[in-house]
Amino acid sequence: MRSAFISLLFAVCATWPAFAGPCTSAEAQLAQVSKALNVNALDIAENTLRSLTVSYPDCPEIVLHQARLAQAKGNIREAAEFYYRYTDTDPDDSRGLAYFGRFFLEQRDYMRADALSAAALDKNQDDPAALALRGQILLMKGQSLEGQKLLEKAVKLDPDDPEAQFQLGTIYDKAKAAAQAVEHFRKAASLNPHDARAWDYLALNLELVGDLDGTEQAYQKGLQVNQAGRYHDAFLDYNYGRFLAKRNDLSSSKRHLDRAVESAPQVRAVWYERAKLDMQMQNYQQARADAEKAAACTQQGGVIDLQIYSLLSQVYARLGDTALAKKYADLTRETPPPVRGEQR
Amino acid sequence: MTPRKLFTVALVVALAAPPRVLWGADAGRIQFENRQRNSGISFVLDNGTLPDKPMIDGIPGGVALLDYDNDGYLDIFFTNGASLPGLAKEGDKFSNRLYHNNHDGTFTDVTDHAGLRGEGYSVGAAAADYDNDGRTDLYVTGFDRNFLYHNNGDGTFTDVTTKAGVTGVSPTGKKLWGISAAWLDYDNDGKLDLFVVNYLDWSFATSRVCGSPGNRLSCSPTLYKGEPNILYHNNGDGTFTDVSEIMGISGSIGKGMGVAIADYNDDGWMDIFVANDNDRNFLFKNRGGKAFDEMGVESFVAYTDSGLPVSSMGVDFRDWNNDGKPSLIITTLGGEIYPLFRNEGNGFFSYESYKAGIGFRSLKMSGWGAGIQDFDNDGYKDLFTANSHVSENADLDGQQHYRQANAVFRNTHDGIFKDVSGDGGPGMQIRAAHRGCAFGDLNNDGKIDVVVSAIGSPAELLYNTSTGGNHWILIKTVGVKSNRDGIGTRIKVTTASGFVQYNHVTTAGSYASSNDPRVHFGLAVDTVIKEIELKWPSGTLQVLRNVKADQVLTVTEE
Repeated sequence: MRSAFISLLFAVCATWPAFAGPCTSAEAQLAQVSKALNVNALDIAENTLRSLTVSYPDCPEIVLHQARLAQAKGNIREAAEFYYRYTDTDPDDSRGLAYFGRFFLEQRDYMRADALSAAALDKNQDDPAALALRGQILLMKGQSLEGQKLLEKAVKLDPDDPEAQFQLGTIYDKAKAAAQAVEHFRKAASLNPHDARAWDYLALNLELVGDLDGTEQAYQKGLQVNQAGRYHDAFLDYNYGRFLAKRNDLSSSKRHLDRAVESAPQVRAVWYERAKLDMQMQNYQQARADAEKAAACTQQGGVIDLQIYSLLSQVYARLGDTALAKKYADLTRETPPPVRGEQR
Repeated sequence: MTPRKLFTVALVVALAAPPRVLWGADAGRIQFENRQRNSGISFVLDNGTLPDKPMIDGIPGGVALLDYDNDGYLDIFFTNGASLPGLAKEGDKFSNRLYHNNHDGTFTDVTDHAGLRGEGYSVGAAAADYDNDGRTDLYVTGFDRNFLYHNNGDGTFTDVTTKAGVTGVSPTGKKLWGISAAWLDYDNDGKLDLFVVNYLDWSFATSRVCGSPGNRLSCSPTLYKGEPNILYHNNGDGTFTDVSEIMGISGSIGKGMGVAIADYNDDGWMDIFVANDNDRNFLFKNRGGKAFDEMGVESFVAYTDSGLPVSSMGVDFRDWNNDGKPSLIITTLGGEIYPLFRNEGNGFFSYESYKAGIGFRSLKMSGWGAGIQDFDNDGYKDLFTANSHVSENADLDGQQHYRQANAVFRNTHDGIFKDVSGDGGPGMQIRAAHRGCAFGDLNNDGKIDVVVSAIGSPAELLYNTSTGGNHWILIKTVGVKSNRDGIGTRIKVTTASGFVQYNHVTTAGSYASSNDPRVHFGLAVDTVIKEIELKWPSGTLQVLRNVKADQVLTVTEE
């Protein structure tokens, strides 16, 4: 019996290369690449992938990470080709489907992102990448509770996924649960310090919990890394400008709101906010110009007509234009305030 | 530079400095001590709450400070709820209460003798001498009934509501949900008129349920229609006439909670501010006693600077920066901030919550009662808010708290208010479901005390124990041509050092409450007031000179 076992062991060892996969012994490096991509450390990912490609030319997972790298670098066509190649090679890998789905989400191809996220989760209910993507998509579809459940499972399985942490943070942000939101945005920002969105949201929620110094620091860090790309935040200057106005630093606020109107001129909210600041600074002509621009914007950015009317009535009153002041005051009166949530 | 030149420069610098610097006010600490335990006051506000948390159970809790027996000391009246849904004051626990001040820090419950137990679900109280007989009367608002109690002068009151015609019923026959009320002489005819603030068109039949079973939350007022306010004109014969429509009041439908009065444009006619819950606030500008124009939007106080309504609840309307222009503070719910509107004197108000330093601080607070009062007698009025969230289950949110400590913000003389609640003594650390509060000097020591009502816990008697030893004066006005209480009289005080302050006579303000009618001024180190100027509602201008500090001064209209 004992000799039979030894013979079997010998046979297995002798034929080992035949059992080994194309990625065998590259697992640690692949994990390192994945982590580097998660936190936007593209140089590390690229260098490691380069050496892996030489050592493991047939390892399909390298293709997956090449796709992610190309996506992160903004090489959309190349990324798509890699993703297609990988999912053809391993159509059952939930990660491949999930990352490909996230690629489509970033391209705003929501239908394909939706389909791939569902397929990814079907393949593996415990894949953090699939859970995180599906959770995010359910949130976008308005299925908040289900989305939250999946995202919570995702961060439990992989607390180092900054995107999952970020998305979970947005749930708490929407629910006005600032303390919990801070927890997740802080984690997201520390995992991926290049994510300007995470710093922005962190700052917004730190303000709500009363940590004003932390708010200031978070904005500063966000501004340092806010560059074009997937983690760019077009409203960082807008939010920081508003914060500075609350802190009575009007000239700095102006600087950031000026940048905000440059980066998002199509959005009503940025013009509106700058007009309010103009009013505070008693620059009523500029306030008029900005408020009228806000009124003309079709993309509201959360600023409703009532707010515009109210502001314009004040602007024209300050300017002494009684007819227009009255017109907008009347509109302010006639416009019903928004209906808020049912409870409080 | 020669010593003489140095001296000259120093002198010029000193003279150029604001008088306040020279005056050297003692920056003592604002402190409050709750002396309820040994006071004989055992009142606990009972809102009759039900598991479904109907709208009505979040909003009671008025307090009135009034000297009903003219002994020179403020007595205390509390409104109380009723059993729900029956709206009956079943048993003692729902009774309104009147406590007589014994002058030694204790009070005696005289409710039954006074005949003020009340009926139905009471909310607010407003005290004043409406018939000019020298005795303070009492108006009580409520969900299903309002009452006018005439003071008989012998410690008893008589319900004269129906005879007087101030039932709070609209011309269509619907009893409106009264919250706060204000006495004012809007037409300066020497008789106090009555303004009643009404809330929502709500009933048990239309009541919605919010939150989950077992964890019900107060519903948003946006689920219900608002109600018009009522202005009653005093006919001078014990009766009133509803003039809401002809005076331009009833056309503005809001969700009123708090009311405060002031002559904000200095034209000699009292104006009215109404704090509306999740609706635009109203500023009724008095057009010479002939009509009111609602100017909230035009004056920039309808909304905050965001152009959106907030849950405005309590309000006070006084001059906090000594420029002679009454300004506003409003309390709101957590997640909003307390709006502070500074009166620019040109018909506009500027929103200064952040500029004044209360923006970030009040973000987590939910407030009801509010007052602009000089608690440390340094000559600058401070702010006080009685805090609590509206929903008993608010803590489910994690960010909100039902029971909260009250807050006091010290005026630092430069347009900034500093939250000094943490240093305000144990009286300021009590977490409770605070509601209405009233301001006045309970023990005539020259320091403004605060009485706060709280759902489910004993009312707090916050005696002002602030340090600093600053001087003060309390001015009691007695009108002759004007209404007997002198309500609406605008007072300007100039101290010996040249420092000028303003205030006016009113019992309205805060939330559903009624304040000490005497006008208080902190005088810092000054022991003499050079000049007291009183502009009576009758138009009489009266000036007193070289008045000693640290006294309760009665001024009768000449």
